[in-house]
Amino acid sequence: MVQDFPSSNGSSEDAPAPDGLDFNNFILEIEPEPASAEAEPVKTKPESNPNLQVQFKSEGGRLLLILPPAPEKSRNPVYWDELRRQLKERISGGERFLQPHTPVHLIARDRLLDSQQVQQIDALLSDAQLPLKRIYASRRQTAVAAATAGYSVEQQTTLSHLGQGQEASRQAMDEPLYLQTTLRSGVEVRHRGTVIVLGDVNPGSSIVAEGDIFIWGHLRGVVHAGAGGNAQCRIMALHMQPTQLRIADKVARSPDDPPMQYQPEVAYIGPDGIRIALAAEFALADLTTQESP
Amino acid sequence: MSRIIVMTSGKGGVGKTTCTANLGMALAKAGQRVAVVDADFGLRNLDLLLGLENRIVYTALDVLAGECRLDQALVKDKRQPNLALLPAAQNRSKESIKPEQMKRLIKALTKVYNFILIDSPAGIEMGFRNSIAAAREAIIVTTPEISAVRDADRVIGLLEANDIKAVRLVINRLRPAMVAAEQMMSVKDVQGILSIPLLGVIPDDEQVIVSTNKGEPLVLEEKLSKAGIAFTNVSQRLQGEKVPLMDLSIPQDSFFTRLKRLFGM
Repeated sequence: MVQDFPSSNGSSEDAPAPDGLDFNNFILEIEPEPASAEAEPVKTKPESNPNLQVQFKSEGGRLLLILPPAPEKSRNPVYWDELRRQLKERISGGERFLQPHTPVHLIARDRLLDSQQVQQIDALLSDAQLPLKRIYASRRQTAVAAATAGYSVEQQTTLSHLGQGQEASRQAMDEPLYLQTTLRSGVEVRHRGTVIVLGDVNPGSSIVAEGDIFIWGHLRGVVHAGAGGNAQCRIMALHMQPTQLRIADKVARSPDDPPMQYQPEVAYIGPDGIRIALAAEFALADLTTQESP
Repeated sequence: MSRIIVMTSGKGGVGKTTCTANLGMALAKAGQRVAVVDADFGLRNLDLLLGLENRIVYTALDVLAGECRLDQALVKDKRQPNLALLPAAQNRSKESIKPEQMKRLIKALTKVYNFILIDSPAGIEMGFRNSIAAAREAIIVTTPEISAVRDADRVIGLLEANDIKAVRLVINRLRPAMVAAEQMMSVKDVQGILSIPLLGVIPDDEQVIVSTNKGEPLVLEEKLSKAGIAFTNVSQRLQGEKVPLMDLSIPQDSFFTRLKRLFGM
């Protein structure tokens, strides 16, 4: 059984028209930001990937804790409070897989951290019995702050092999992000790869993944699979009741009259937009033959 | 000239968002082009009350970040195409937007819409300052409770300090039976403290809870409930319809008698 899902392509409903006065069809733009007095001399190249959040990466027996880039350079800024929340969430969400006593190397990139913030990160890691062994920072201030707080620091201007390597290899996705948690309203998880949630995704929360999204629980929020444009990506949930589903550049919302009962389902892009099929009947082989151009 | 009205209260839970949704819908029904703006970043609700949550693709922040045009972020109401919602972001805090940015958003909206209703968050911090930044008028929503009235009074002062002089009052959730029994502040009591013009009185009505949960504003109902009539009346007064001052008390009176009948008094 394949259910039809009303699908629309986001903005296509209000397609642009040259005349701004036609109420059913108008373009509205805000004025550009007035140039501020302390305008940045050169607009730094926007982060190639706006989806960067706090990230753990295991590499050669150690754990790399990679921070998102400095907020002032990012289109999707992650400020300290948010960073702290993300770190907490990643630690508690993936606790079972974080081997205690694995040395952690903190990749601060170009973020400004004061010694207190470094200590707070250390404290959060210590709660999961992860020792903070070394800090890599490209900003002098951060390096000094970390050294003052008594950590072993390495200041680098380029983080060639650590952290920033991922931007060079833009094609390769990150390893899947596993989260054992309930995503509550206001939480947004962004990941350059597949996201697996063991728990519920509540309304008001969202997941933006460049790969697939698996929800072992109730899916009630907004999820976006294949956010980088990969239309082959899928969304699977035990209980598929999303506010909105997005795959690559397609958007679908849930039907106005919800079904009586839920079974595990899979959402994918079919010939006419996003479709949903029962997981039990979703045959991978069928789909691949269908989709080959 | 478009009218830019902020709905605010100081205290939370008095019905700002309910009033915004219903007034916006009632104005749109009357043929006005209405944009309702959710200024409650991080705790948005207006989309829920309008039943538009699952149609949101972009938010005001995406517009400001230059990721989409303003018209792409506007969610048009299917039931009432004169009404559009500019959603707030749910994953950010009130600090993620500046008053100057709010002004740019609202200014662009005035090119298309005659009425812009801004749903302010509770409190008097950043979110409140953002929501009043572009407003030229204000509607104070309060309930006949001493705490709500106290906060409303403070907010009126702040609005005046920000040169918003056209401030009018909506008293929400009035229970005429309790007022009659002198257990609740009366309209007169509230007005006595706040001393601003009264735009309307909304009686306490269980239907409000039902409509909130359904995402269907009361004023859309075929047969209007008491609160639905009251909201429609407020919208008419807001459009400058010369409803004589006498009229202000009429809906209240009729609820009064009806409620009395209900309680067999």
